This record gives sequence, structure tokens and C-alpha cells, in this order.
Amino acid sequence: MLNWELYNDGDLLWLGDWSLPWLIALAILGVLVIGISAYDLRSMPGRRRWTLVALRGAVYAFAVGLLLEPAVDLKHVTKVKNDVAVLVDTSRTMELRTVEGGTRFERVGEALKAFESTVEQRGSEHEFHFYGYDGELQSSSRGALAEADADGNASNLTGALEKVSEEFKSSDLGGVVVISDGIDTGSIGQRVPPGETLDEATRQLLASLEAPVNTVAAATDDGIKDVAIAEVRHDDFAFVHNKVSIEVTVQVVGMGETSFPVQLRRRGELLQTRTVEVKPEKRRYDLTFEFVPKEIGKEIYSVSAPEFSGEALLTNNLSHFLQNVIRDKIRVLQVVGQPSWDERFLRRFLKENSNVDLISFFILRTSSNVNLVTPDELSLIPFPTRELFEQELGSFDLVIFQNFNFGPYNVARYLPEIAKYVKDGGGFAMIGGDKSFASGGYADTPIEDILPVELPSSRQPSAVINLEDFRPELTDAGRRHPITQLAFDPEANRKIWDSLPKLRGTNVVAGPKPGATVLARHPTLRRAGGKMPVLTISNAGDGRVMALTSDSTWRWGFENVGQGGTPREYSVFWNSAIRWLIKDPELKLIQVDIPEENYAPGSSLKANVRLSKPDYRPARNVDGRLEMSYRPFESLENRNEAGDASATPTMRGSASAERKANDIQRTFTTDHEGRHSASLPVEAPGIYRVTARTETEAGQLEDSDITLSTADVEELRQIVPRDDLLDAMARATDGTFSVLPNFDPSDLVFDASERVEINRRKVIHLWDSVVVFGIILVLLAVEWTLRRQWGRL
Amino acid sequence: MDRRQFLAGLGLSGLGLAIPSSLRALGDSSDVTIGRLNYGAAGWDVRDSGIRRLLQEVEKRTSVSVNPDYPTLTLQQEALFEHPMVAMFGDRGFDPLPVDRLKRLRTYLQSGGFLVVDSSEGVRNGPFFQSVKRDLSRIFPDRDLAPIGGDHVTHKAFYLIDEPVGRLSISDSMLGISDGDRLLAVVSQNDIFGALARDNFGNWEYDVRPGGEQQREMAFRLGINLVMYALCVNYKADQVHVPFILKRRKWKVD
Repeated sequence: MLNWELYNDGDLLWLGDWSLPWLIALAILGVLVIGISAYDLRSMPGRRRWTLVALRGAVYAFAVGLLLEPAVDLKHVTKVKNDVAVLVDTSRTMELRTVEGGTRFERVGEALKAFESTVEQRGSEHEFHFYGYDGELQSSSRGALAEADADGNASNLTGALEKVSEEFKSSDLGGVVVISDGIDTGSIGQRVPPGETLDEATRQLLASLEAPVNTVAAATDDGIKDVAIAEVRHDDFAFVHNKVSIEVTVQVVGMGETSFPVQLRRRGELLQTRTVEVKPEKRRYDLTFEFVPKEIGKEIYSVSAPEFSGEALLTNNLSHFLQNVIRDKIRVLQVVGQPSWDERFLRRFLKENSNVDLISFFILRTSSNVNLVTPDELSLIPFPTRELFEQELGSFDLVIFQNFNFGPYNVARYLPEIAKYVKDGGGFAMIGGDKSFASGGYADTPIEDILPVELPSSRQPSAVINLEDFRPELTDAGRRHPITQLAFDPEANRKIWDSLPKLRGTNVVAGPKPGATVLARHPTLRRAGGKMPVLTISNAGDGRVMALTSDSTWRWGFENVGQGGTPREYSVFWNSAIRWLIKDPELKLIQVDIPEENYAPGSSLKANVRLSKPDYRPARNVDGRLEMSYRPFESLENRNEAGDASATPTMRGSASAERKANDIQRTFTTDHEGRHSASLPVEAPGIYRVTARTETEAGQLEDSDITLSTADVEELRQIVPRDDLLDAMARATDGTFSVLPNFDPSDLVFDASERVEINRRKVIHLWDSVVVFGIILVLLAVEWTLRRQWGRL
Repeated sequence: MDRRQFLAGLGLSGLGLAIPSSLRALGDSSDVTIGRLNYGAAGWDVRDSGIRRLLQEVEKRTSVSVNPDYPTLTLQQEALFEHPMVAMFGDRGFDPLPVDRLKRLRTYLQSGGFLVVDSSEGVRNGPFFQSVKRDLSRIFPDRDLAPIGGDHVTHKAFYLIDEPVGRLSISDSMLGISDGDRLLAVVSQNDIFGALARDNFGNWEYDVRPGGEQQREMAFRLGINLVMYALCVNYKADQVHVPFILKRRKWKVD
């Protein structure tokens, strides 16, 4: 006996394997049977007629039903729950306080508690999956999320939705719930600015979920007040003497109509200020800072906006970054008073150096020369003094005056510019000749101020030129200095200098200036109580200057070859001289390199030390000291106005203590490659400088490198709630949108489950039954009987 | 730039500083001169006054300080390497130069020396020219003696020159052997120095054909250009690049 209680669902099945044409044929046949029958009985009264037709039709219908083999598919089914993904934003902005009080995440906690009843009520239809998301989507539980800390450094809502779409691709996703402040550090947040409609890519992502997205905003932007350096776009590298652009986006909310300055600082020194004119309807302001770095090396920059009372967050008013200023090519300006072999060989050396961009200007004709032709027949061009010495001077790394007298060419007016260029960090070399030094008229000019030698005041030929051939003598400094080190071994170096072709004549100088370093001197000429300097160097302000009183160093390259030597000595000398003049860091015997520009607090930085001997071979097994000093960012704010890097900032008490706590000193020993790598702990945000010191045969060596440690506040660059984005997402998917604390979980919209599970099933064949045959026979019998009674047989 | 600045820029204004006339470079050895090459075969010493006249014209017309007392140099002499420019003359063929001398000449040229070969034969592809071509190919077997085009720096080193004429105008172009963009040797068959040669009384030693005195002037200009090329190499080729180079680096904030 069939127990109907075991089944709660059923379907009628047709088991006969009849094709559609046959079914149509049967239907037509049925119509014909009934039609003919009705026509045949047309003379009978209406009731009798239609009774007989109905009986005939019923018989036909049952007969056809037998052919179609009907069956009942009885089932006991239970519905399968579909999935609902609940995404909870756990990024750091969720810890910000709302205008009404309490943090955004505290509101989320309340909402999750309210969710409990919904889970119970709708738990039979939906399986709720809870996730927390910041930079990544992480599976969690309602209870765990309610108790969690919002400390994520990103809020990648886009990534979270993509992950959900992928994870539930083969499942029946009934709905999504997003509980967030709406800030998306992923691509949707960037593609859809505040107040704008969703773009196509976002719509496609939402459509791929195939479920309503219910959004719950933890806060709105009503009443919030904040100024943020939202984004700083800069290259990691910049080229010295090349314009650098820093693009800054400032986000301003709730400030009304006002204006405020945004400042760019380098090592605390104010570089530039831009003013933001705030309009109430506009939130994002793009600013561009442009400047020209003058020195190579790493520099710390900061972009800051003022702090206003009532701001939701102050840490996002400041942004630090590091930029490494490097050299592209060495730009050399060679100015020559007259063509000569000395000029020719120096020019050839510079032109063949692929690292040098050379601009040469030679005076090919003077007023004393005979002029027999029109300018059209000459290839001469005007001497572009203004372009070179005023407009473009700052673009050069090194200026060489080679036997150049400034007087006839109106260059006197530019001499102060050239001196300033050097004091600001440029390189300058004066090479001898009858148009150089005192005989070039440089006494008592701004150029003499920067030269490392004193010039004689007399202009008598015997006082300014000496024609004797001579071989320069190296001084103690010259024996060690890289410019005059033509060989690694000191004795070999001395022998090379002793064997070089003699120089032919010299400009006479009065002596070295205080602070100047004489590298080579004349063997016989005496000035200022000592042998006259021939090769002298010094710093001039931030720049470097070299004075070479000879115009025949070319002989070290060419004549030396004729004597069986090589041109190497000439090349080494000038290569070293140029590198010294431009302060080439590669000339440093000790180098410290911190490869990364930013380390997270709590991580470790790696510092690489490379130590070379004076001959630039690796200095193996050499002991040294490694120091890491720490300065909190706050120390930059208290710098003196000039921004002097050497100035000791006035430290706040806590910062000073923190500074000492993070300072580290340790010893090191170089390996067989002259290298040492150290791992040093980075505890707190700030500036870390690693300095290596050692003492070698080249004397005390020291080098340092810097890096930054910044708490990752990128998440906090955008703190204004994007409830508009959440609302748009809900609308696009027919979901609901709520703003906490006004949230009723029962309002959430989910799709009903589309899947069932069959627990029991039974198919009953209706046609395979005596009853059915009996019914057909009874119907036929009744029809036959009535026909007899009504006189139709 | 006004006219005055322009003239001053051209170096045409007066010297602002009176340099004593006795001060010429740092002594004679710093002055520019051209060595005359004695290659050890007959005919090396023709056109002996041409160099002096050329140097005197260089002195008169350009800012270069010269020493007109030119030296005669052999390939074996150490002094060869005190003079980065040498001239080689001839009017007849000569036997192949010894290998050791050719090696030294190669070292000289590769180290920065500049050789000007001037044929005074009066015919194209004469025996002297053939001898020079033979020995240059022995020195640089992988380099050809190639025609020097009209756009080469030697045609604009100081004067703008269309044709490289000398006493004669029998060859449309000079020939040269280069190392990269630097000419190591230049060979002329137009007898440039024959056009410049004067006797002790100041008379021109040779007539110039077919252009007469105008052609002689052009020969001087070519000679001056060769000296300027030896001193400045491709400096004139630089000039076209200067605006580009200056603009390429944006070193100022607009």
C-alpha cells in the first residue's frame, strides 16, 4: 500500500516514446473522431447528442492516454540552502571616529550582533559565510569579526568582490552583504570618483556575482572634516641638474571655502609652496612641484598641509618619500681661447668618453687676425656667451677654461655667474696657457676668488709666464690623491711621474690659497716661500676647482707613446681629475648602500658595505665600525630655516630618547670581496642613516646611506566614507543600502535557493492498470447502451 | 644679441686685455707647427717653403699661435711624437717603406697623429700616389683610402670650401683613411703646398692652373682648414648638435 505521507512532491511523467508528429497526428485523429461523431448525431436532440460525443471523446482520450504511458513521479524533497557572503571591512579607516561618536568599526560590531537573529531566521534558506577584508579577503566568523581589530593597511573591496565571484562561481550565491565605510583602495575606488556613476567594468564585476549586493555603510561623509595628502607621485630616481616634477593630490572635505598652503621640503628645508583654493563642491586638488636637484645622492622629501582643528585624522596631512638623485652623463663645457694641441687631445679624450656630453667652444679668430673674406665664406658662429654662461650654465657638471681669456668676448659680466655656479656645486678647471691665470687677466676677478691659487698682481711677462721645461714633483698629498695616482703602488706611481715627458712652460702663480691642496709643484720655481704649485685643487663653496698651470699635458698621452710608453697615463690623469671635480661617488673607497628606500617598522634593513684599497682592489679582511642612527620625522619639523643638513635639530624630549634607543653600533670585517652585509632592526618610523667607518692606508674612510621607515598610512590617505559608492553598488544589483546605525538585517534581499535534495522517489505507472482498462470498457458499454436506448444502433 | 655683441662674439672686437706681444703660448714648443716627413726616399723635400707659408697664413688669419720654423722629421725619431701633424710630399714613386717604419707611422696615427700627403706629380694616380696608397694599405689593411665628401668637416673647419683645389685641380676630392669619425690621413693629388710655395723674394714658385690667383687663395683656405681640422678635429660637426644638446636637458623650472 502506498504511503502518501512519505512524499511531499510529485510530477506527472509521460513514458511513451512518441515523437511530436505522432502526437499531432493523434490529436488530429481525435478531432476527426469527435467531429464525425458529432456530425453523425446531428439529428438527435442536443443533450443526447453531446452526451454521446463526450463519451466517445472520453474513450478516445483514455485510449490515447494508454498509448502515452502516463506515470506519477512521487518524491520526497528538501530544499538546499544557497550561500550568502558577508564582507566586513577591517581596514584602519574603520577605526576612525564618526561625527556622531564611536568608531566606524564599533558600529559594525553592533550590526554584526543584530545579524544574529537574521542568521537564525533565515538560516534554513541561506548559508551565511563571513569574511573580513583589508588588502586580502579572509574567511572568518560573525563572532570573530565582531571582536576583531580594524588594523588592515588597505581596503580592497574590488579584490574582495572578485574573490567572492570566483569562489562561488559553481555555487548558488543568494546574496552578498558588504559592511564598510565604502573606501576602496582597489580599482573600483580609483575608477569611480565620488559622486559619479558606476563604470562598465564595475557593473560587469557586480553582474558576475549573479546575486543582490546589500551594502551597509558604517558612516557617511556628512560632517566629516579632513585635509589629506592623498597621493604623491614621483619617480624613484631623478637626474642631477634635471628638472624633477612631483605631483601631489590633496583631498579636502568639510573645510568650506578657504585656502591653505601645501609645502614641499627637502631634508626639512622649504623648497616650494603651492596654495590650495578650496571650493566646497570640489574635493580633490592636483598640485605640481618642480625643482632641479643640484647634488647626487638620496634625499628625503616631505609634502605637508597644515593641521586644522576638528580634522578626522592628522597623520594624513604629511607624506614623506625618498628620491635618489643620480647622474646621467657628465656634462662638460670646454671653452678654449685658441686651438692648440693641448685642446685637441683633451677634446679627443672627452669626446671618446661615452659618459661625457661635451659642449666645446673654441675661439678660432680674434680681432688681430686678417679678415679677407665675407662671413658667408667662413664657418664661424657667434660665441653664445649669454646662452652658455647665463642661461645654460647650471646644466653643466664641469666647466673647463682652457687657455681662455675672457676679456675680448664680453665674458667679464658673466664671471660672477660662473663663480656662483661653482659655489653652488659646479666643477671648474682652469688649464694653463698664455691666455690663462694672470696672463688671462683673471687677477682680482670673481674667478680668482674660486681658484685654489693666488695670482700675481704684476702683468710683466716674466711675472706671469715661465718658459722652462719641467717635470712636476708630486707633493705628499699628490702621492695619495686619486687625481695623481697613475699607478696603484706608490713607488710605481713615482716612477711613472718621473718618466713622463716634461711639460713645456708654466703660468706663474703666487702660491696656493689657504685650504687648497697642492698635488704637484714646479721643481725649481719658488713662490710664497715654497715651490710653485702646478696642480692645485680645492673646494669652493659646494663646488670643486682645479688649477693646472701647464698647457702641455697632452704630451703625457702622445709624446709618451713616441718614447715607448702608452697614452694610459694621460687618460687616467684626466679621468680621475674629472671624476674628482664632479664629485663622482664611484671614487669613494668605501661605499654604503641600503638597497630599499622604505622599510616597514618592525622589519630589518639590509646595509651593504664595499671597501676598496686606494688602487680600487677589494680591501679584504678589514675591520670597521658600522653605525645606524635614527631620527624621527618630527625632528625635521624643527629644523632651522636654512635647512642645513649638518645642523643639529632641536629634538623633542621623547623623540630624542627614541632616537638614542634606536641607534646601533657594531663592528664588521670585510670578506674576500671587500664586502660586508648587515641586517639592522628598524623599530619605529623615521629616518635611518647607516654609516661605515674604517681606517686604511688611504686614511680615515667614511660613507653613509639613508633610508626611511614609514608606517603604512596609505590606507589613511583616503578616509572620507564612500557611502555613495556602496549605494550605487546596491542599486546596480537590486540589493538594499543601509547606513549604520539604522540597519535592519531583515530588510536584506537574497535570492531564493534554486536547488533541492531528493530523499525518496517512486514512479507509479498509471496506464499499466486494470482500472484504466475497466474505465474504458465501462465508457464503451455506457455509450453502447445509450445508443440502443436512443435508437442509434 | 645686438650687433656689438655679435661682433664681440665673433671675436672681432678689440682685445680687452693687453697681452705682451712677446708672450706667445708657453714658449715656442707650445705653438702649433707642421712636421715635414722625411720618409727616406727621393722627392720627400719638394715644396719645402709651402709649410712655412701655410703656417704664416694660419697665424695671420686665425687665432692659432704657430711656429713657422717647422721641423723635418723621420719616422724613427722620437721627436715625431712632439708634432701631432706631419706633411708628406713627393713627386715620384718610392720603394715600399720598411715594416718597422710603417709600424711606427701606424702607432703615430692611431695615437692621435694626423698625416697630410700632398702629391706634386701633376697627374692623377701617379707613381708617388700609388706608392703612398700601397704603404697606407700595408699600415691599415682593413681600411680603404676613400674619397672625402664635400660635407666633411675638412670642408668647413674654418672656411667653407666647395672644391679641394691646390696648384692644380685634377682631382675632385681628397682621399682619406679614418678611425671612426676621425681622419688619420688625408691624401691630395692637387699639389696644395705647390700653390702656397714662395721663394725667398716673396714670389710664387708655381703658377696655379686653371683658376689662377683665386684658386691659389682657395688652396690657402684648404690648407688652413686642414690645420684647423688637425687641431679641432670634428669640432665644427658639433655645432649642429649644440641646440639639441642644450635643449635635451631640462635643468630649469619653467
